[in-house]
Amino acid sequence: MAKSEDLTRIITGCKKGNAECFSQLVDIYSRRCYGYFYRLTGRREISDDLLSELFVKLVQKIGSYKGGSFESWLFRIASNIFHDYLRSKQRYKKLLEVQKKQLESEVTEPKHSEDDRADKLQKELNKLDADTRELIMLRFYSQLSFKEIAEMRSEPIGTTLSKLHRAVKRLRELRE
Amino acid sequence: MNKRSQNDEDVKALFEQFVNREQAEQAAEDFREAEQILRSYPAPEPDDEVTAGIKSQIAWALLDRKENVFKRKALKAVAVAAAFIVIGALSVKLLEKQSQPQETVYASIIPRAIWESEDIASDDVNLATLTAEIEQIKDEILALQLGDDGENGSGIVEELEMEFIEISSDFWKG
Repeated sequence: MAKSEDLTRIITGCKKGNAECFSQLVDIYSRRCYGYFYRLTGRREISDDLLSELFVKLVQKIGSYKGGSFESWLFRIASNIFHDYLRSKQRYKKLLEVQKKQLESEVTEPKHSEDDRADKLQKELNKLDADTRELIMLRFYSQLSFKEIAEMRSEPIGTTLSKLHRAVKRLRELRE
Repeated sequence: MNKRSQNDEDVKALFEQFVNREQAEQAAEDFREAEQILRSYPAPEPDDEVTAGIKSQIAWALLDRKENVFKRKALKAVAVAAAFIVIGALSVKLLEKQSQPQETVYASIIPRAIWESEDIASDDVNLATLTAEIEQIKDEILALQLGDDGENGSGIVEELEMEFIEISSDFWKG
């Protein structure tokens, strides 16, 4: 993990369009961001795509970063990318349903479902709703404080604490 | 896992603002355990090929960004140059206008054509009549001087005087 001064220098370099600095950012954050996407989607190939999208967006948006918590800024973009993915997934599902009805055929879901490839924890996480899952992942992978998460989600800190507590309790219950 | 900002946070103290001490302790314990679970099942890491691919994508994106910056700068320069040309043209026109002699402003009660006309008599009926009468008197004086009317010279002079008085009163009456 980069020190604060190093990170500031790297971000300054990125703002100037230095490819080497972006490369360093990828080295610092790719694992955490990948973990975040993987735990939310449970699919490696999708996580690969979302991670690429995140860093390309970072190149486009780095100029709009005006200081403050970089992690908070980065994971806000990551969260938006994940929500876009969810929306497109919903669209895709609807499209599939329409096609199914049109063809009137018995199209079944692929046998090798996400669950088959996921680890034990992933199976439990998949039982949680998307918002709860995202909240836990944000807390764990972004390393943001409760206050920062609350600000990011534009909700009072009490609400964030309560939601997160319910989420971790649910995770504990699933483990038992 | 680095917990820079999270380390600064006392989860228990934070929960104590909303729930009682026991519940806050329980919440802090729940969080510790959940984090333990997540740590014991680390998520897979991205393949080296994936990160290499991302870095190459970044290089392309940077190239695009540089091109866009150049285009934006060029467009800006063109816009500034166009603005300068327009301002310059307007300034020249304004200066030209200022250097031209100022036109006389005429009172609206007198028509400009009459004001500028050399032929005053034709512009006013009274003046035209007066001019005609003056011409007539001039002719008559000339005739007197030439002695055309030798018989009754004093009568003519009286007649002239009468005409003068008549003209004068007509003129001032309008």
